Formats: sequence, C-alpha cells, structure tokens
Amino acid sequence: MSTISRRAFLRTSGLGIGLGALGGCAPALQGDFAPKTGRRVVVVGGGWGGATAAKYVRLADPTIEVILLEPEKQFVSCPLSNLVLSGVRTIGSLTFGYRGLRRHGVRVLHEAATAIEPDARRVRVGDGYLQYDRLIVSPGVEFQVEQIDGLAAAGDRVLHAWKAGPQTVALARQLHAMPAGGVFVLSIPPVAFRCPPGPYERTCQVAWYLKRAKPKAKLIVLDANENIVSKAGLFRAAWKAYPNIDYRASSKVVKVDPGAREVTTDFGDRIRYDVVNVIPPQRAGTIAVQADLVGPDKRWCPVDHVTYESAKHKGVHVVGDATIGLPVPKSGTMANAMGKIAARAVVDLLAGKQPPAMAPVNTCYSWVSDQEAMAIINTYRVAQGKVVQIEARLTPRQSAEYGRHALGWAANIWHDVLG
Amino acid sequence: MHESARMIAGIAALLLTLLAARPAAAGPMDAPGYAKAFACSACHGLGGASRADTMPVLAGMSPQYFTKAIEDYASGRRPSAEMQPFARMVLELGLDEVAAYFAAQPFAPTPIAVASAAVARGRAAAAPCAACHGAGGQGDPARTIPPLRGQPPGYLANQMLLFKHEARSPGDAQLQKVKELMRGISEATIGDLAAYYSSLR
Repeated sequence: MSTISRRAFLRTSGLGIGLGALGGCAPALQGDFAPKTGRRVVVVGGGWGGATAAKYVRLADPTIEVILLEPEKQFVSCPLSNLVLSGVRTIGSLTFGYRGLRRHGVRVLHEAATAIEPDARRVRVGDGYLQYDRLIVSPGVEFQVEQIDGLAAAGDRVLHAWKAGPQTVALARQLHAMPAGGVFVLSIPPVAFRCPPGPYERTCQVAWYLKRAKPKAKLIVLDANENIVSKAGLFRAAWKAYPNIDYRASSKVVKVDPGAREVTTDFGDRIRYDVVNVIPPQRAGTIAVQADLVGPDKRWCPVDHVTYESAKHKGVHVVGDATIGLPVPKSGTMANAMGKIAARAVVDLLAGKQPPAMAPVNTCYSWVSDQEAMAIINTYRVAQGKVVQIEARLTPRQSAEYGRHALGWAANIWHDVLG
Repeated sequence: MHESARMIAGIAALLLTLLAARPAAAGPMDAPGYAKAFACSACHGLGGASRADTMPVLAGMSPQYFTKAIEDYASGRRPSAEMQPFARMVLELGLDEVAAYFAAQPFAPTPIAVASAAVARGRAAAAPCAACHGAGGQGDPARTIPPLRGQPPGYLANQMLLFKHEARSPGDAQLQKVKELMRGISEATIGDLAAYYSSLR
C-alpha cells in the first residue's frame, strides 16, 4: 500500500525520479525525490494541527504546493474516543481518511519524516528528502515510558490508549473481559499532558460501564497531581453517580509489574489490578526533540505567539500539543486553531507580508455518561505579540443538551480539519 | 489562417501566464474580517457553513441579526454558557467586522436530512410563522427577524423550545408574539416546523 501511495504521489507530482528507491530494491536514493518547482510548504504530521494547517494553506493560496507527511492512512479522533471504552461509540465512527485534504490539492504522503534540516530547508523521508520554503511541524506527543519502572518492558501488556486507535480498542476489550468483581487501575501523569480533562472523562466512562455491566467491580484512579487538573467541580459532581470510583490524588505511579499485576506509587503503596491503564508522562513528538525544536525543558516547543514559528529554528512552525509557552490547553480545538493561524502566517510570510495577530479559542466537551456532557470555553486576545486569556468559562452543569452540542462540535470540527 | 492560429496560441499562452501569476482566487480566507472570524469555524464550519444539527449556519446571515444575536449572547439575555464568552470576544475584536465577514459568505443550507412527512406537517402548520419570517422563511433583516430557511432542524427546534419555556431573551418585546405562538403548540409540532424550515432553500 505504501509503495502504491508513493507511486501515486509521484505520478500526480509528474515526477518519476524517486521511483527507483520506492520498491525497496533499488540502491538508496540520496536525492530530492520530488524536486520543488514553485513555492512549497511541507507539513509533518496529519493530526488535528497538521491536517488543518495543510488544508488552510491551500485554501489561502492554491498556487502553493502542500505536501503532508503522515504515516497513518487514517485519522482517528482522540476526542470522543473515551466513549469507545464504555462501548457507547465504535472506533469506526471516529475514523476518517485523508480524501478531503486531497480534494483541496494537498499531496498526502503516507510516510514518516525522519529528520528536519532547518539550514538546508529540507525534511528527510526514507533515503531521500523533500525541500521546503516553510515547514509546519505538528508532531503531537510521545510517551516518556522510561519514567515508570517496568513500563517499557511491559510493551502491549500495559496500554496507554492515549492515541486513539488499536490501543483504544484493546483497552475496551480488556475492560469488557474483566472479572465481575475486578479492579481497574487508571494512572494519570503529572501535568503537562495531552487533553487535561481527558483522564477524568475516561474515569467517568469506565465507571459508567462498570456500574451497568459489573456492579461489583471497582475503579481506582491514581493521579500524580494534587487535584483533578481540569473542570474539577464538574467532575466531582459527576462522580457522585459513580460510587465505584476510588480517586486518590497525589498518587504518582512509579512502577508497573504486569507479571504480578501490580503498580507501585511514589509513597510505596502497591495496588493490585485486573486491568491497568497507564497514561505515561509526555513530551513533544520525537522528531521535534531530534530537530532541536524543544526548549530548555527538553519536552515542549517554544513558538512565536503570532506566527507559531519555532523559537529555535527559522522557517519551521510548530502547532498543536507539542507547543509550550501559550496559556492554552493541549486540546484538539486549540490544535485546529493553531493550524489555521500558522497556515495564514506561512502564506503571508511567503508573500512577504506581515501576518495578522489572530487569537485562538478553545472549546472542550467532556462526556460524563453515555448521554451527558459538560464543557469549558477559553477565549484569548493577542496583546503585545503574546496570547493572553480573556476568560475561562465552564458550563454550569452536565446535561444531555451539552452532549448534543458536543456532537455538533465534533461534526463541524472534524470537517474543518479534514473535509 | 496560419497567422490567426499563431495569434490564438499567443493569446492562450498569455492567458495561462496571467492565470499562473494571478493571486489566489477570492475565498473565505481573503474576505475582510477573516483574521477575526476564523476561530468560529471550529464549531460553525468554514465561512459559517455549519454541517451540524445543533450549531446554526452563519454563512450569509444578515449583519443586523448577527449583531443582535452577539449582543444578546454577550449580555446573557440569550443564555448560553458556550456563546457568552465567545460573544464577548467578538465584541472585543470588533462586532461589525465579524458580522460583515459572515454576511459576505455565500449561504450554505444545512446538510441535515429531515423526514418528508415531518416537512409536510410543518408546512401545514407554518402559516402563523410566515407573518414575520416571510412565506419562504427568508426573514426580514430590517426588523432583525432572522431567516429560518436552511438552518439545522436541531437548532431551530431548540430555539422554539427556549421560547416556549421562556428560557430565552426575557422581556424582549419583539419576541412576545413568537413566545405566545410557541406556548400554544405541542413539542411535536415544533419538531415539524423545524423540519419544514430547515428543508427550505
């Protein structure tokens, strides 16, 4: 499939130069396998930020060639994926292709970018490279598995399910197969991580499922943080319906032993589990670390608040969960906004124009049962070149009406990202 | 013959050059106000062309009604936990520019499908609505009466229910009549009216 897609890509590019390297049987190609003719923007990563950016560069100026590098053939939405654990949604209902982007003239190449060379303005892909005028990197997050003893060695025996896809489905299966009186342990990492309310929404979904299907089972939540990180009051209220939740703040998991089915906290507490879900600590996606786009913390990428250009390398823009320094959550809505802003900035900079200051917004719904949701809204302004929050507003309660709004949000934003 | 063919070829080449050099065709991103209105597309669709059942279509909305809606959301007269902060942000950004942006976008009716039986029942019940909203549900911008045609059925039904239960715009004199109307009809009829008006183009 990969070979076919690359052939198709090169055919539509009108270029055959790279074909020798594509089958894997020709000598390594050291050259540019799709030589640049006009202005070109390369986007690394086809998640919420990258897919949006690729589409919006084409919308703003269809004379710019846009190449999106994304190894996965399908986009699986992290938002709503906690509902797959409870069996309320199927993973298929959250899975989309990249056809919509191709209709906008984005050249989607299902390959991984392996390195960035900012000085040469090129991205390495396999044995070749792609030249760019501007690069947009949307690397997402990578897991710091080394921070929890035994996690790397555990492999697939301990799931994160924090990137929607096969792990989400596998964790749902484990939950559904758990003994009637079993213990499900959920481990939440210290901030910062992707989707601040996500672990607490997951808590609701697992508890909702257990309450109905396994009323004798228990959910132990081990949170490395001192309190619920997001929407704390609303989650506390929602959990009143789930006496099966045993929430333990300031309980950081430092060790996991899948043989003994046991986790250990930094206080030395050992907790036995039937099913465990460890959401590991996170940093920016590996390519951002290797390309030296991360700041002094070696985890996240500092960026300009107007253009999303990297503070470390000129001509490289970073969007989405991998960024730091803006007072914004690592959310899908935010990545979508950053993708649109970075696209406009890139198009203006390529045209020699000053990009306008564009303020992002955030909308984040959390599902507390099969029907009911609640939300946080964040609004922002750009002042003296910096993003500043205007206000953060919570819905007053959870409700089925907010659940319908959440579905409306999903329908429109999925289309804004990919359609 | 030879000469004219060469001339045609020359003109064609010139046209191609002009086309290639031409700036990007005017789209939703080139319109004035885009840099202030862009964030709305996450929930309301590109250019305000909502595809969702609950979020209204903003594309082509009259600036008068858009302005009234934003002011009412910002003040809380139209209660919405989600829209109040966004409306305040729009006021800060510049309401006129954002209103002008959406007014300039081509109207895009909802893609949400409705049952034809519900549409028929709604058409039969719609006479009282037409007095203000027009026979085709086109509204009347001068009186800040919104168009209903092509809006998502879920959004329309929700607004009618808010009127029926006095949960929107308390004391707004202009809305007394529609609230009375809604109090007098069933929730099933509200669903039919929503289906009918959403089906109009």
